[in-house]
Amino acid sequence: MEVDREDGRSQNQLRPLACSSNILHRAHGSASWSQGDTKVLAAVYGPKAGTKKNENPEKACIEVIWKPKTGQIGKLEKEYEMILKRTLQSICILTVNPNTTTSVIIQVVNDDGALLPSAINAACMALVDAGIPMRHLAVSICCCVARSGLVILDPTKLEEQNMKAFAYLVFPNSVHSVLPEGSLSVQGEPIENGIITSVTHGVMSVDDYFYCLEQGRAASTKLSDFLRRNLQQQSTDSSKAG
Amino acid sequence: MVTYREDGSSEVQLGQTRVMGIVTAQLVQPYRDRPKEGMLSIFTEFSPMADPSFEPGRPGELAVELGRIIDRGLRESRAVDTESLCILAGKFVWAVRIDIHILDNGGNLVDAANIAALAALLTFRRPECSLGGEDGQEVIVHPPEIREPLPLMVHHLPIAITFGFFSNESILLIDPTHNEEAVMNGRMTTTVNANGDICAIQKGGGEGVPQRVIMQCLQLATSKAASITKQIKDAVEAFNTERALRKIKRHPTSTGVDVREKQNQYTCNIPVSLEHFKSKTEVVITRTRKHYPLNMAA
Repeated sequence: MEVDREDGRSQNQLRPLACSSNILHRAHGSASWSQGDTKVLAAVYGPKAGTKKNENPEKACIEVIWKPKTGQIGKLEKEYEMILKRTLQSICILTVNPNTTTSVIIQVVNDDGALLPSAINAACMALVDAGIPMRHLAVSICCCVARSGLVILDPTKLEEQNMKAFAYLVFPNSVHSVLPEGSLSVQGEPIENGIITSVTHGVMSVDDYFYCLEQGRAASTKLSDFLRRNLQQQSTDSSKAG
Repeated sequence: MVTYREDGSSEVQLGQTRVMGIVTAQLVQPYRDRPKEGMLSIFTEFSPMADPSFEPGRPGELAVELGRIIDRGLRESRAVDTESLCILAGKFVWAVRIDIHILDNGGNLVDAANIAALAALLTFRRPECSLGGEDGQEVIVHPPEIREPLPLMVHHLPIAITFGFFSNESILLIDPTHNEEAVMNGRMTTTVNANGDICAIQKGGGEGVPQRVIMQCLQLATSKAASITKQIKDAVEAFNTERALRKIKRHPTSTGVDVREKQNQYTCNIPVSLEHFKSKTEVVITRTRKHYPLNMAA
Protein backbone atom coordinates (compact mmCIF):
# COMPACT_ATOMS: atom_id res chain seq x y z
CA MET A 1 0.00 0.00 0.00
CA GLU A 2 1.72 3.13 -1.14
CA VAL A 3 0.47 6.36 0.25
CA ASP A 4 0.79 9.64 -1.61
CA ARG A 5 2.23 12.21 0.72
CA GLU A 6 1.74 15.84 -0.14
CA ASP A 7 5.40 16.65 -0.50
CA GLY A 8 6.28 13.48 -2.37
CA ARG A 9 8.10 11.72 0.45
CA SER A 10 7.87 7.99 0.95
CA GLN A 11 6.43 6.70 4.20
CA ASN A 12 9.80 6.36 5.90
CA GLN A 13 11.40 9.52 4.69
CA LEU A 14 12.20 12.35 7.05
CA ARG A 15 11.99 16.00 6.13
CA PRO A 16 15.22 17.92 5.55
CA LEU A 17 16.94 18.54 8.88
CA ALA A 18 18.90 21.62 9.80
CA CYS A 19 20.44 22.57 13.08
CA SER A 20 22.90 25.04 14.45
CA SER A 21 24.16 25.73 17.91
CA ASN A 22 25.64 28.59 19.88
CA ILE A 23 23.39 31.14 18.21
CA LEU A 24 22.48 33.27 21.23
CA HIS A 25 24.99 35.40 23.11
CA ARG A 26 23.56 35.61 26.61
CA ALA A 27 22.44 32.01 26.99
CA HIS A 28 24.99 29.49 28.21
CA GLY A 29 23.95 27.06 25.51
CA SER A 30 21.60 27.46 22.59
CA ALA A 31 20.52 25.52 19.54
CA SER A 32 18.03 25.76 16.74
CA TRP A 33 16.52 22.67 15.14
CA SER A 34 14.34 22.53 12.08
CA GLN A 35 12.63 19.59 10.41
CA GLY A 36 11.15 20.87 7.18
CA ASP A 37 9.12 23.91 8.19
CA THR A 38 8.94 23.14 11.89
CA LYS A 39 11.53 25.25 13.66
CA VAL A 40 12.34 25.36 17.36
CA LEU A 41 14.87 27.42 19.30
CA ALA A 42 16.23 26.15 22.62
CA ALA A 43 18.33 27.96 25.21
CA VAL A 44 19.95 26.62 28.36
CA TYR A 45 21.02 28.52 31.43
CA GLY A 46 22.76 26.67 34.16
CA PRO A 47 23.66 25.34 36.50
CA LYS A 48 22.25 28.05 38.76
CA ALA A 49 22.35 27.88 42.52
CA GLY A 50 19.50 26.39 44.48
CA THR A 51 16.65 24.12 43.59
CA LYS A 52 12.93 24.80 43.39
CA LYS A 53 10.69 24.23 46.36
CA ASN A 54 9.56 20.64 45.98
CA GLU A 55 12.68 19.34 44.34
CA ASN A 56 15.29 17.07 45.85
CA PRO A 57 18.30 19.17 46.89
CA GLU A 58 20.64 16.22 46.63
CA LYS A 59 20.28 16.16 42.88
CA ALA A 60 20.41 18.72 40.11
CA CYS A 61 17.04 19.99 39.00
CA ILE A 62 15.93 20.71 35.45
CA GLU A 63 13.36 23.37 34.77
CA VAL A 64 11.66 23.64 31.38
CA ILE A 65 9.84 26.70 30.05
CA TRP A 66 7.90 26.32 26.83
CA LYS A 67 7.05 29.46 24.91
CA PRO A 68 4.44 29.06 22.15
CA LYS A 69 4.59 31.14 19.01
CA THR A 70 1.53 33.18 19.83
CA GLY A 71 -1.19 33.14 22.45
CA GLN A 72 -1.45 32.36 26.12
CA ILE A 73 0.30 29.53 27.88
CA GLY A 74 -2.21 26.77 28.42
CA LYS A 75 -2.44 23.15 29.42
CA LEU A 76 -0.84 21.87 26.24
CA GLU A 77 2.30 23.90 26.92
CA LYS A 78 2.39 22.67 30.50
CA GLU A 79 2.15 19.10 29.27
CA TYR A 80 5.02 19.60 26.86
CA GLU A 81 7.07 21.11 29.65
CA MET A 82 6.46 18.10 31.86
CA ILE A 83 7.32 15.56 29.14
CA LEU A 84 10.47 17.43 28.21
CA LYS A 85 11.50 17.73 31.85
CA ARG A 86 11.12 14.00 32.51
CA THR A 87 12.96 13.10 29.31
CA LEU A 88 15.86 15.41 30.06
CA GLN A 89 16.05 14.25 33.67
CA SER A 90 16.65 10.72 32.48
CA ILE A 91 19.52 11.62 30.18
CA CYS A 92 21.36 14.13 32.35
CA ILE A 93 23.65 13.00 35.11
CA LEU A 94 21.91 14.64 38.03
CA THR A 95 24.36 13.71 40.73
CA VAL A 96 27.25 15.77 39.37
CA ASN A 97 25.98 19.19 40.45
CA PRO A 98 23.61 18.72 43.38
CA ASN A 99 21.43 21.55 44.60
CA THR A 100 21.50 23.43 41.30
CA THR A 101 18.88 24.26 38.70
CA THR A 102 19.38 24.14 34.96
CA SER A 103 16.76 26.04 32.96
CA VAL A 104 15.83 24.97 29.47
CA ILE A 105 13.74 27.44 27.50
CA ILE A 106 12.02 26.37 24.30
CA GLN A 107 10.68 28.93 21.83
CA VAL A 108 8.48 27.72 18.99
CA VAL A 109 9.40 29.62 15.85
CA ASN A 110 7.16 27.68 13.52
CA ASP A 111 4.93 24.67 14.00
CA ASP A 112 4.45 22.38 11.02
CA GLY A 113 3.97 19.00 12.67
CA ALA A 114 6.30 16.93 14.92
CA LEU A 115 6.76 19.86 17.28
CA LEU A 116 7.61 17.99 20.47
CA PRO A 117 10.24 15.76 18.82
CA SER A 118 11.93 18.82 17.30
CA ALA A 119 11.91 20.49 20.69
CA ILE A 120 13.51 17.48 22.37
CA ASN A 121 16.23 17.35 19.72
CA ALA A 122 16.87 21.07 20.03
CA ALA A 123 16.99 20.87 23.83
CA CYS A 124 19.57 18.07 23.63
CA MET A 125 21.81 20.07 21.36
CA ALA A 126 21.49 23.12 23.56
CA LEU A 127 22.45 21.09 26.64
CA VAL A 128 25.56 19.86 24.83
CA ASP A 129 26.38 23.43 23.84
CA ALA A 130 26.08 24.49 27.47
CA GLY A 131 28.27 21.66 28.68
CA ILE A 132 25.75 20.04 31.01
CA PRO A 133 26.91 16.51 31.90
CA MET A 134 24.81 13.84 30.20
CA ARG A 135 24.92 10.07 29.93
CA HIS A 136 23.99 9.99 26.29
CA LEU A 137 21.90 12.07 23.91
CA ALA A 138 18.30 11.56 23.01
CA VAL A 139 16.86 11.57 19.52
CA SER A 140 13.19 11.96 18.99
CA ILE A 141 10.85 11.07 16.17
CA CYS A 142 7.15 11.17 15.44
CA CYS A 143 5.39 8.18 13.88
CA CYS A 144 1.80 8.09 12.95
CA VAL A 145 -0.76 5.55 11.88
CA ALA A 146 -2.97 6.56 8.99
CA ARG A 147 -6.61 5.61 8.66
CA SER A 148 -5.59 3.00 6.09
CA GLY A 149 -3.32 1.33 8.63
CA LEU A 150 -0.08 2.56 7.11
CA VAL A 151 2.66 3.84 9.39
CA ILE A 152 4.45 6.99 8.28
CA LEU A 153 7.26 9.00 9.83
CA ASP A 154 7.68 12.71 10.49
CA PRO A 155 4.26 14.06 9.52
CA THR A 156 3.52 17.66 8.62
CA LYS A 157 0.74 19.48 10.43
CA LEU A 158 -1.86 18.64 7.80
CA GLU A 159 -0.89 14.98 7.84
CA GLU A 160 -1.00 14.90 11.64
CA GLN A 161 -4.54 16.17 11.65
CA ASN A 162 -5.71 13.46 9.29
CA MET A 163 -4.12 10.59 11.12
CA LYS A 164 -5.85 7.98 13.21
CA ALA A 165 -3.15 8.03 15.86
CA PHE A 166 0.38 9.25 16.32
CA ALA A 167 3.22 8.66 18.73
CA TYR A 168 6.18 10.75 19.81
CA LEU A 169 9.11 8.47 20.56
CA VAL A 170 12.43 9.27 22.15
CA PHE A 171 15.37 6.88 21.89
CA PRO A 172 18.88 7.14 23.27
CA ASN A 173 21.31 7.84 20.49
CA SER A 174 23.52 5.13 19.11
CA VAL A 175 26.79 4.88 20.90
CA HIS A 176 30.26 4.69 19.41
CA SER A 177 32.46 3.72 22.24
CA VAL A 178 35.97 2.57 23.12
CA LEU A 179 34.56 0.45 25.90
CA PRO A 180 34.10 -3.29 25.30
CA GLU A 181 30.77 -4.47 23.92
CA GLY A 182 29.37 -5.96 27.06
CA SER A 183 29.26 -2.83 29.15
CA LEU A 184 26.93 -1.03 26.79
CA SER A 185 24.12 -3.46 26.74
CA VAL A 186 21.36 -3.97 29.18
CA GLN A 187 20.28 -7.58 29.55
CA GLY A 188 21.72 -8.63 26.26
CA GLU A 189 20.23 -5.82 24.17
CA PRO A 190 22.30 -2.88 22.97
CA ILE A 191 21.49 0.33 24.81
CA GLU A 192 20.06 2.10 21.82
CA ASN A 193 17.20 -0.32 21.56
CA GLY A 194 15.78 1.12 24.74
CA ILE A 195 13.11 3.75 24.67
CA ILE A 196 13.16 6.81 26.88
CA THR A 197 9.79 8.41 26.23
CA SER A 198 6.67 7.48 24.33
CA VAL A 199 3.61 9.71 24.09
CA THR A 200 0.69 8.56 22.03
CA HIS A 201 -2.45 10.27 20.82
CA GLY A 202 -5.38 8.42 19.38
CA VAL A 203 -6.16 4.75 19.16
CA MET A 204 -3.82 2.21 17.59
CA SER A 205 -3.49 -1.55 17.84
CA VAL A 206 -0.62 -3.18 19.70
CA ASP A 207 0.90 -4.48 16.45
CA ASP A 208 0.79 -1.01 14.96
CA TYR A 209 2.51 0.38 18.01
CA PHE A 210 5.34 -2.14 17.84
CA TYR A 211 5.69 -1.47 14.15
CA CYS A 212 5.94 2.26 14.92
CA LEU A 213 8.66 1.50 17.45
CA GLU A 214 10.67 -0.43 14.87
CA GLN A 215 10.35 2.28 12.26
CA GLY A 216 11.17 4.91 14.82
CA ARG A 217 14.25 3.09 15.97
CA ALA A 218 15.53 2.74 12.42
CA ALA A 219 14.99 6.44 11.81
CA SER A 220 16.64 7.32 15.09
CA THR A 221 19.95 5.84 13.93
CA LYS A 222 19.87 8.22 11.00
CA LEU A 223 19.08 11.10 13.31
CA SER A 224 21.88 10.07 15.69
CA ASP A 225 24.35 10.14 12.82
CA PHE A 226 23.18 13.56 11.77
CA LEU A 227 23.48 14.85 15.33
CA ARG A 228 26.93 13.35 15.78
CA ARG A 229 28.21 14.80 12.51
CA ASN A 230 26.92 18.20 13.44
CA LEU A 231 28.41 18.19 16.92
CA GLN A 232 31.76 16.96 15.68
CA GLN A 233 31.84 19.64 13.06
CA GLN A 234 30.99 22.29 15.59
CA SER A 235 33.62 21.15 18.03
CA THR A 236 36.30 21.33 15.33
CA ASP A 237 35.04 24.77 14.29
CA SER A 238 35.19 26.11 17.81
CA SER A 239 38.62 24.63 18.44
CA LYS A 240 39.87 26.48 15.40
CA ALA A 241 38.30 29.68 16.64
CA GLY A 242 39.66 29.23 20.15
CA MET B 1 -14.30 33.42 16.54
CA VAL B 2 -11.95 32.03 13.98
CA THR B 3 -8.21 32.63 14.08
CA TYR B 4 -6.42 32.65 10.78
CA ARG B 5 -3.05 31.05 10.33
CA GLU B 6 -1.86 33.68 7.90
CA ASP B 7 0.93 35.40 9.65
CA GLY B 8 3.75 37.77 9.05
CA SER B 9 6.82 37.10 11.09
CA SER B 10 10.16 38.78 11.27
CA GLU B 11 13.40 38.31 13.09
CA VAL B 12 15.69 41.23 13.81
CA GLN B 13 19.33 41.08 14.83
CA LEU B 14 20.74 44.34 16.19
CA GLY B 15 24.31 43.65 17.27
CA GLN B 16 23.86 40.95 19.91
CA THR B 17 20.20 41.64 20.46
CA ARG B 18 17.76 39.31 18.73
CA VAL B 19 14.01 39.83 18.60
CA MET B 20 11.23 37.97 16.80
CA GLY B 21 7.91 39.55 15.89
CA ILE B 22 4.75 37.63 14.90
CA VAL B 23 1.53 39.16 13.63
CA THR B 24 -1.82 37.35 13.64
CA ALA B 25 -5.36 38.55 13.14
CA GLN B 26 -8.78 37.51 14.32
CA LEU B 27 -12.29 38.60 13.50
CA VAL B 28 -13.94 40.09 16.56
CA GLN B 29 -16.68 42.43 17.60
CA PRO B 30 -15.49 46.04 17.80
CA TYR B 31 -15.65 48.24 20.89
CA ARG B 32 -19.02 49.93 21.39
CA ASP B 33 -17.68 53.43 21.15
CA ARG B 34 -15.59 52.69 18.06
CA PRO B 35 -17.73 50.56 15.80
CA LYS B 36 -15.84 51.32 12.64
CA GLU B 37 -12.30 50.73 13.77
CA GLY B 38 -10.23 47.60 14.00
CA MET B 39 -7.98 46.81 16.94
CA LEU B 40 -4.25 46.62 17.34
CA SER B 41 -2.68 45.03 20.38
CA ILE B 42 0.90 44.35 21.29
CA PHE B 43 2.08 41.56 23.56
CA THR B 44 5.67 41.55 24.68
CA GLU B 45 7.26 38.41 25.99
CA PHE B 46 10.49 38.86 27.82
CA SER B 47 11.51 35.25 27.41
CA PRO B 48 13.86 33.90 30.07
CA MET B 49 15.90 32.80 27.06
CA ALA B 50 17.12 36.33 26.55
CA ASP B 51 18.61 37.08 29.92
CA PRO B 52 19.11 35.04 33.07
CA SER B 53 17.40 37.73 35.09
CA PHE B 54 14.11 37.57 33.15
CA GLU B 55 11.54 35.60 35.08
CA PRO B 56 8.79 33.67 33.33
CA GLY B 57 5.20 34.60 34.08
CA ARG B 58 3.77 38.07 34.38
CA PRO B 59 5.56 40.78 32.39
CA GLY B 60 7.74 43.01 34.54
CA GLU B 61 7.84 46.80 34.28
CA LEU B 62 10.44 46.78 31.51
CA ALA B 63 8.26 44.57 29.37
CA VAL B 64 5.22 46.73 29.98
CA GLU B 65 7.15 49.91 29.21
CA LEU B 66 8.49 48.44 25.99
CA GLY B 67 5.04 47.36 24.92
CA ARG B 68 3.62 50.80 25.67
CA ILE B 69 6.34 52.65 23.76
CA ILE B 70 5.77 50.55 20.65
CA ASP B 71 2.04 50.77 21.05
CA ARG B 72 2.11 54.55 21.28
CA GLY B 73 4.34 54.79 18.25
CA LEU B 74 1.96 52.70 16.15
CA ARG B 75 -1.47 53.52 17.44
CA GLU B 76 -1.46 57.18 18.23
CA SER B 77 0.55 58.24 15.24
CA ARG B 78 -1.94 56.29 13.15
CA ALA B 79 0.79 54.38 11.41
CA VAL B 80 -1.54 51.44 10.89
CA ASP B 81 -4.89 52.37 9.42
CA THR B 82 -7.44 50.83 11.75
CA GLU B 83 -10.45 51.93 9.75
CA SER B 84 -9.43 49.72 6.87
CA LEU B 85 -9.69 46.78 9.27
CA CYS B 86 -13.44 47.20 9.59
CA ILE B 87 -15.52 44.66 7.66
CA LEU B 88 -19.00 45.19 8.99
CA ALA B 89 -19.46 48.23 11.19
CA GLY B 90 -20.50 47.32 14.68
CA LYS B 91 -20.26 43.58 14.09
CA PHE B 92 -16.99 42.36 12.61
CA VAL B 93 -13.58 43.96 12.59
CA TRP B 94 -10.08 42.57 12.43
CA ALA B 95 -8.12 42.56 15.66
CA VAL B 96 -4.43 42.51 14.81
CA ARG B 97 -2.20 41.04 17.46
CA ILE B 98 1.56 41.58 17.48
CA ASP B 99 3.60 39.19 19.61
CA ILE B 100 7.14 40.25 20.33
CA HIS B 101 9.51 37.57 21.59
CA ILE B 102 12.85 38.72 22.93
CA LEU B 103 15.34 35.98 22.17
CA ASP B 104 18.65 37.53 23.14
CA ASN B 105 19.22 40.62 25.25
CA GLY B 106 22.25 42.49 24.00
CA GLY B 107 20.86 45.86 24.97
CA ASN B 108 18.46 48.34 23.42
CA LEU B 109 15.46 46.03 23.27
CA VAL B 110 13.06 48.87 22.46
CA ASP B 111 14.59 49.71 19.10
CA ALA B 112 14.98 46.11 18.02
CA ALA B 113 11.44 45.21 19.09
CA ASN B 114 10.05 48.22 17.26
CA ILE B 115 11.78 47.23 14.03
CA ALA B 116 10.59 43.63 14.44
CA ALA B 117 7.00 44.82 14.89
CA LEU B 118 7.18 47.07 11.82
CA ALA B 119 8.77 44.43 9.62
CA ALA B 120 6.18 41.85 10.66
CA LEU B 121 3.31 44.27 10.03
CA LEU B 122 4.59 45.08 6.57
CA THR B 123 4.74 41.45 5.53
CA PHE B 124 1.51 40.36 7.17
CA ARG B 125 -1.36 39.46 4.85
CA ARG B 126 -4.91 39.15 6.07
CA PRO B 127 -7.45 37.01 4.25
CA GLU B 128 -9.89 38.77 2.03
CA CYS B 129 -13.49 38.63 3.10
CA SER B 130 -16.77 39.68 1.66
CA LEU B 131 -20.26 40.17 2.92
CA GLY B 132 -22.79 37.55 2.10
CA GLY B 133 -25.76 35.72 3.46
CA GLU B 134 -29.38 36.70 3.01
CA ASP B 135 -29.26 40.19 4.39
CA GLY B 136 -25.60 40.91 3.78
CA GLN B 137 -24.88 40.47 7.47
CA GLU B 138 -22.65 37.43 7.26
CA VAL B 139 -18.95 37.62 6.66
CA ILE B 140 -17.36 35.04 4.40
CA VAL B 141 -13.63 34.69 4.78
CA HIS B 142 -11.86 33.47 1.69
CA PRO B 143 -8.98 31.05 2.17
CA PRO B 144 -5.68 32.18 0.67
CA GLU B 145 -5.76 29.71 -2.22
CA ILE B 146 -9.00 31.15 -3.56
CA ARG B 147 -8.37 34.84 -3.11
CA GLU B 148 -5.09 36.60 -2.63
CA PRO B 149 -4.76 37.89 0.95
CA LEU B 150 -4.36 41.62 1.47
CA PRO B 151 -1.60 43.58 3.15
CA LEU B 152 -2.28 46.02 5.98
CA MET B 153 -2.42 49.73 5.26
CA VAL B 154 0.65 51.20 6.88
CA HIS B 155 0.98 54.93 6.34
CA HIS B 156 4.42 55.55 7.73
CA LEU B 157 7.04 53.75 9.80
CA PRO B 158 7.71 55.14 13.27
CA ILE B 159 11.26 54.16 14.23
CA ALA B 160 12.33 54.19 17.86
CA ILE B 161 15.85 55.35 18.66
CA THR B 162 17.21 55.12 22.17
CA PHE B 163 19.90 57.31 23.69
CA GLY B 164 21.85 56.81 26.87
CA PHE B 165 23.21 59.61 29.02
CA PHE B 166 26.26 59.57 31.17
CA SER B 167 26.30 62.73 33.20
CA ASN B 168 29.76 62.35 34.76
CA GLU B 169 31.53 62.55 31.46
CA SER B 170 28.71 64.39 29.71
CA ILE B 171 28.51 61.72 27.07
CA LEU B 172 25.56 60.89 24.91
CA LEU B 173 25.34 57.45 23.33
CA ILE B 174 23.03 56.14 20.68
CA ASP B 175 21.88 52.50 20.77
CA PRO B 176 23.39 51.34 24.09
CA THR B 177 24.53 47.73 24.56
CA HIS B 178 23.49 46.00 27.72
CA ASN B 179 26.81 46.63 29.44
CA GLU B 180 26.35 50.33 28.76
CA GLU B 181 22.75 50.17 29.94
CA ALA B 182 23.88 48.78 33.26
CA VAL B 183 26.03 51.82 33.99
CA MET B 184 24.29 54.69 32.28
CA ASN B 185 22.54 57.37 34.28
CA GLY B 186 19.57 58.14 32.08
CA ARG B 187 17.88 57.02 28.90
CA MET B 188 15.54 58.50 26.39
CA THR B 189 13.65 56.88 23.54
CA THR B 190 12.44 58.99 20.65
CA THR B 191 10.11 57.60 18.02
CA VAL B 192 10.40 59.49 14.76
CA ASN B 193 9.54 58.68 11.19
CA ALA B 194 11.34 59.37 7.96
CA ASN B 195 9.19 62.44 7.30
CA GLY B 196 10.65 64.13 10.33
CA ASP B 197 7.53 63.81 12.50
CA ILE B 198 8.03 63.03 16.14
CA CYS B 199 5.66 60.21 17.05
CA ALA B 200 6.64 59.76 20.69
CA ILE B 201 9.30 60.61 23.22
CA GLN B 202 9.81 58.61 26.35
CA LYS B 203 12.14 59.70 29.09
CA GLY B 204 11.35 58.03 32.37
CA GLY B 205 13.38 59.36 35.24
CA GLY B 206 17.15 59.13 35.39
CA GLU B 207 19.45 62.12 35.18
CA GLY B 208 18.09 65.43 34.07
CA VAL B 209 19.48 66.63 30.75
CA PRO B 210 19.52 70.14 29.34
CA GLN B 211 17.10 71.11 26.61
CA ARG B 212 19.89 71.59 24.11
CA VAL B 213 20.81 67.93 24.42
CA ILE B 214 17.24 66.86 23.76
CA MET B 215 17.18 68.87 20.56
CA GLN B 216 20.47 67.29 19.51
CA CYS B 217 19.04 63.84 20.14
CA LEU B 218 16.00 64.61 18.03
CA GLN B 219 18.14 65.73 15.14
CA LEU B 220 20.31 62.63 15.33
CA ALA B 221 17.24 60.45 15.55
CA THR B 222 15.67 61.96 12.45
CA SER B 223 18.77 61.31 10.39
CA LYS B 224 19.03 57.71 11.63
CA ALA B 225 15.35 57.05 11.08
CA ALA B 226 15.67 57.69 7.37
CA SER B 227 18.41 55.10 6.93
CA ILE B 228 16.64 52.50 9.05
CA THR B 229 13.37 53.01 7.18
CA LYS B 230 15.19 52.38 3.95
CA GLN B 231 16.72 49.18 5.28
CA ILE B 232 13.37 47.85 6.46
CA LYS B 233 11.76 48.63 3.15
CA ASP B 234 14.56 46.94 1.21
CA ALA B 235 14.24 43.80 3.30
CA VAL B 236 10.46 43.74 2.80
CA GLU B 237 10.90 44.23 -0.95
CA ALA B 238 13.34 41.34 -1.14
CA PHE B 239 10.91 39.16 0.76
CA ASN B 240 7.97 40.13 -1.44
CA THR B 241 9.83 39.26 -4.62
CA GLU B 242 10.84 35.94 -3.12
CA ARG B 243 7.24 35.20 -2.20
CA ALA B 244 6.00 36.12 -5.67
CA LEU B 245 8.56 33.76 -7.17
CA ARG B 246 7.43 31.00 -4.85
CA LYS B 247 3.89 31.43 -6.05
CA ILE B 248 4.92 31.08 -9.65
CA LYS B 249 6.47 27.74 -8.79
CA ARG B 250 3.06 26.54 -7.70
CA HIS B 251 2.24 25.32 -11.19
CA PRO B 252 2.35 21.53 -11.55
CA THR B 253 5.79 21.12 -13.07
CA SER B 254 7.60 20.98 -9.75
CA THR B 255 6.85 17.87 -7.73
CA GLY B 256 6.97 18.24 -4.03
CA VAL B 257 9.78 20.74 -3.85
CA ASP B 258 8.02 23.50 -2.01
CA VAL B 259 5.44 22.28 0.40
CA ARG B 260 4.67 25.72 1.71
CA GLU B 261 2.15 26.93 -0.83
CA LYS B 262 -0.15 24.03 -0.29
CA GLN B 263 -0.70 24.83 3.32
CA ASN B 264 -2.62 27.62 4.83
CA GLN B 265 0.22 29.61 6.14
CA TYR B 266 2.80 31.86 4.71
CA THR B 267 5.67 32.33 7.05
CA CYS B 268 7.99 35.10 6.20
CA ASN B 269 11.45 35.28 7.62
CA ILE B 270 13.26 38.46 7.03
CA PRO B 271 16.71 38.41 8.42
CA VAL B 272 17.23 42.09 8.93
CA SER B 273 20.69 42.64 10.21
CA LEU B 274 21.38 46.21 10.94
CA GLU B 275 25.00 45.86 11.80
CA HIS B 276 25.99 49.34 10.85
CA PHE B 277 23.29 50.88 12.95
CA LYS B 278 25.35 49.76 15.87
CA SER B 279 27.98 52.37 15.16
CA LYS B 280 27.83 54.63 18.12
CA THR B 281 27.78 58.31 17.68
CA GLU B 282 29.68 59.70 20.58
CA VAL B 283 28.89 63.29 21.12
CA VAL B 284 31.03 65.00 23.68
CA ILE B 285 29.16 67.89 25.19
CA THR B 286 31.07 70.46 27.13
CA ARG B 287 29.22 73.15 28.95
CA THR B 288 29.53 76.59 27.38
CA ARG B 289 29.69 78.26 30.79
CA LYS B 290 33.26 77.12 31.07
CA HIS B 291 34.17 78.89 27.87
CA TYR B 292 35.15 75.71 26.05
CA PRO B 293 33.96 75.31 22.51
CA LEU B 294 31.28 72.74 21.85
CA ASN B 295 32.99 69.68 20.40
CA MET B 296 30.92 67.41 18.30
CA ALA B 297 32.67 64.29 17.05
CA ALA B 298 30.10 62.52 14.94
